[in-house]
Amino acid sequence: MTIHYIGEHSWAGFLGNIFLVLSFTAAILSSAAYFITSSKPLEELSWKRIGRIAFRIHSISVAGIMGVLFLMLYNHYFEYQYIWQHSNLEMPMKYIFSCFWEGQEGSFLLWTFWHVVLGNILIRYSKEWEAPVMTVFSFVQVFLASMLLGIYVGNLHIGSNPFLLVREMPENLGLPWLTHANYLELPYFKDGRGLNPLLQNYWMTIHPPTLFLGFASTLVPFAYAIAGLWKGKLDSWQTQALPWTFFGIMILGTGILMGGAWAYEALTFGGFWAWDPVENASLVPWLCFVGAGHVMLVNKNRKISLFTTFFLTIITFILVLYSTFLTRSGILGNTSVHAFTDLGMSGQLMLYMLFFVWMSVTLLLLNRRLKIAYTSISFLLLCLGIMTGIKTAFVFTFGLLTLVLLIIGYRRYFPKEEKEEELWTREFWMFIGSLVLAIASFQVILYTSFPVLNKIIQVDFIHSFIQGIHGKLVQWFNFKGLANFASGNLAPEKNAIAFYNKWQSLFAAVVAFLVGFGQFLRYKNTPFKPFIRNLLLAFVLAGILSGIISYGLPRNNPLQFVLNSFLCFSSLFAIFANIDYWRKIGKGKLGKSGSSIAHIGFGLILLGALVSNAKKEIISRNIRGDLRTIDKELSNSSNILLSKGDTLPMGDYYVTYLGRRKGEGEDKRNLYFDVEYLKKQETGKYRHEFTLSPLVQRNERMGNVFEPSTHHFIHRDIYTHLATADLDPSIGSDNGEYTTPVEKTAARHDTIYTSNSMLILDSLTTRFDRQRYRLPDSILAVQASFRALDENGKIVLVRPVFTIRNNESKPIEDTVPSLGLRLNFFKVDPANGKISLYVSEQKTNKKDFIVMEALIFPWINILWFGCLVMISGTILAMRERIRKLKGKADDK
Amino acid sequence: MKKTHIIGIILIALAIGLIMSSLVSTSKYATFTEASKSTESDFHIVGKWDKDKGTEYDPQKDPNLFVFYMKDQEGIEHKVMLHNTKPQDFEKSEQVVVVGKMKGADFQASETLVKCPSKYNDNKPVQ
Repeated sequence: MTIHYIGEHSWAGFLGNIFLVLSFTAAILSSAAYFITSSKPLEELSWKRIGRIAFRIHSISVAGIMGVLFLMLYNHYFEYQYIWQHSNLEMPMKYIFSCFWEGQEGSFLLWTFWHVVLGNILIRYSKEWEAPVMTVFSFVQVFLASMLLGIYVGNLHIGSNPFLLVREMPENLGLPWLTHANYLELPYFKDGRGLNPLLQNYWMTIHPPTLFLGFASTLVPFAYAIAGLWKGKLDSWQTQALPWTFFGIMILGTGILMGGAWAYEALTFGGFWAWDPVENASLVPWLCFVGAGHVMLVNKNRKISLFTTFFLTIITFILVLYSTFLTRSGILGNTSVHAFTDLGMSGQLMLYMLFFVWMSVTLLLLNRRLKIAYTSISFLLLCLGIMTGIKTAFVFTFGLLTLVLLIIGYRRYFPKEEKEEELWTREFWMFIGSLVLAIASFQVILYTSFPVLNKIIQVDFIHSFIQGIHGKLVQWFNFKGLANFASGNLAPEKNAIAFYNKWQSLFAAVVAFLVGFGQFLRYKNTPFKPFIRNLLLAFVLAGILSGIISYGLPRNNPLQFVLNSFLCFSSLFAIFANIDYWRKIGKGKLGKSGSSIAHIGFGLILLGALVSNAKKEIISRNIRGDLRTIDKELSNSSNILLSKGDTLPMGDYYVTYLGRRKGEGEDKRNLYFDVEYLKKQETGKYRHEFTLSPLVQRNERMGNVFEPSTHHFIHRDIYTHLATADLDPSIGSDNGEYTTPVEKTAARHDTIYTSNSMLILDSLTTRFDRQRYRLPDSILAVQASFRALDENGKIVLVRPVFTIRNNESKPIEDTVPSLGLRLNFFKVDPANGKISLYVSEQKTNKKDFIVMEALIFPWINILWFGCLVMISGTILAMRERIRKLKGKADDK
Repeated sequence: MKKTHIIGIILIALAIGLIMSSLVSTSKYATFTEASKSTESDFHIVGKWDKDKGTEYDPQKDPNLFVFYMKDQEGIEHKVMLHNTKPQDFEKSEQVVVVGKMKGADFQASETLVKCPSKYNDNKPVQ
């Protein structure tokens, strides 16, 4: 029996699905046609035309999918799962974009969209490279398009479809409401679940598209590298890929920094970077990308790092896939606050990633026999993995195999320049710099991948193997620490931020130092004396200034202090040396200054991050609390309690909590807490400086979201956020209402705290003045006697009574009007003598208070300024590369 | 051998050695029983909040102390003293990870990570 459901906008899903299938098949066709084109000795135009047309159809279909999805969001078709899940009626339309890419399907769509845009540009401009590059491009599109298909091949679920109706979701199959033709009348379908309040922020409308454009742009150099390997042009692809690489570095960098800006503005961890797995997953490809771009520059002049270039270009793209896997597979569950939910796609993502690893490495091996061996063993592993189900073990073996063959392939078959190179050359140190970047990204990705490592190690035979090694090591060296690793229980560092800062400040300092002197080196050979003379000024300036700054850095951790001072010196050295270079050699011209400006920006970012972070000051020092119960080592006093009207000193300010107010209009969900910052004048009077309004977005369904508020000065930011607050907006108003009763338990002599008093249970008795309560002797009754102490130590007695009549408990409540308290004693546990009671208080009782943290970030504007400088420098560098590329084409 | 190779290999070996060596000092996921055995080191313990015992948080007394009871994956329960403010949406938590060390019978935590239930299955229409 088929039911004809009423009110569904099924045409939208139908149209969307047509576009989905079209985009998938067109991508296959395009890839195949381009493959045939590039396999012919003479370019066959008819196949190339088919490839182009197919890619165009694919592009139109992707635009179509997006259009339909936007239309559905705009018109609130809540019968569709994606729409129901990510939007609701209340939400302002300006967040429609955030809704679009909140889900996995939407973000894949965004990624696909950028590939389409870049692909169309390449069709127009890549000339003789079009066929092989577009083969790779369309091929990747096939994989991405399949992520949205949502079809079953046997038991295999391929992709997750954004056009599924709620009633079609697997978990809803067979539910009774499915038999109602008019199920859309159910209240459930009247409104959607809504957008995660964290994403209701303007940064979230621009951060994801920028980041995904950055991710997408890693495909261009990758496609060129693959095309180069495939066509045996190991070298010339780089000139083509260079401008794209710098474009990608710029966009991806901007995207990452926007994420930092969002975190600084909308999240309450107190900073712009927390080394969260999700952040790391986007940083790591960027580091490798920067490395790849620089070794490409080396190769333009000397062919000494060809293999490294291939390696870094390919690994950048693979890392983007790996990041997607990490953040989308749910494997980070225990380590990240924002890890996304698994849609059952992790296996598929993993398989795609391994496929691209296999493809790239096969091409890199450059020897027929090795290629065949690698391919057949990989295939065997895949089959074994699928048949036995112990996937992780085979993935691990595949990884090892890949590594070993890569080393063999490089040593025996990869062309290398034989000539011994000079030490003082730009190419040599640029190569070293890229290597350091790669190592830095290895450190980050290794520690971010702990959950993945744990999973691999927990596989039986690997586990016992590693345990065996570990046993031996313990025997020989007493090497205990490896036990965590061997047991597959690696946990992230306790203080992750400090841990990553330690490592990365070292790497950053080395890179910045190289950035400082690298510019003055020449390709091939540099006369040593003038080189040193050129650097002297920057070196001395950086030395003096960093000495002054380092003097003010905190010294409680000696190692970090040394690293910080080193980083401070290197970043200043990088800034000064590049300014000097721009002045001396670039002659201040804009055309050639791209790299200098970008490097100055890089130095500024490091300096700003260092100073604002190391000299970050928590000014909300708590003074309350019982000092005896506070463990010295654990004591944390960064959060402070402020009652309405209180004025407390914080840093060089005095801070008053003015009270709460509800937002209006679009912001009606927000509750603002106004905190006034004052300064004491010589007359003893307070002068108003500024008011900050940290807020809470109230969201019953998805959890309340606390957002900080920051006052920006040029030289520092005052950052304030709430840690806890009672979110009842009526607190402090005078209407005599009682709050919802809170259940408490107490034994004799226990103390119960209320907002304005302490209640001590003195006694429990069955012998009391029953006449007062008109209780006959036959009824079992217990009276609890509490001593209520108010803030001034004044004592009032409260005596709620618990009775049992006809097997039913009947409490007799007692109130303390002076304290606005009501006690309701409803249970006695004869086993332990504990009683249970409800305590309610008058709302006026509850003091309006907040627990907040206030931080000062000094000179954080150096960081943001550095971002702008670096971005503009990279744009200039990119423009220069395009100009050179065009010049070359014109010369021909 | 060329210089690039030598320096490159030395650098890589050095860095990887250093990075790997810090694996030794990392903390691990454990249970209360294990944490009780070595009270010197920090552990990550995954468990569930015991709802029946409630929570204690009194910002008037100390805004940086939050107390609750947690059952670890072996079902052993201990009092957890978190030296920080009460985590947002703690009551809705499905799983809690606490980071810190045992002191006597109590677990002294400096950090927690609260996992709330998947947003996918709320409010399904039933009938």
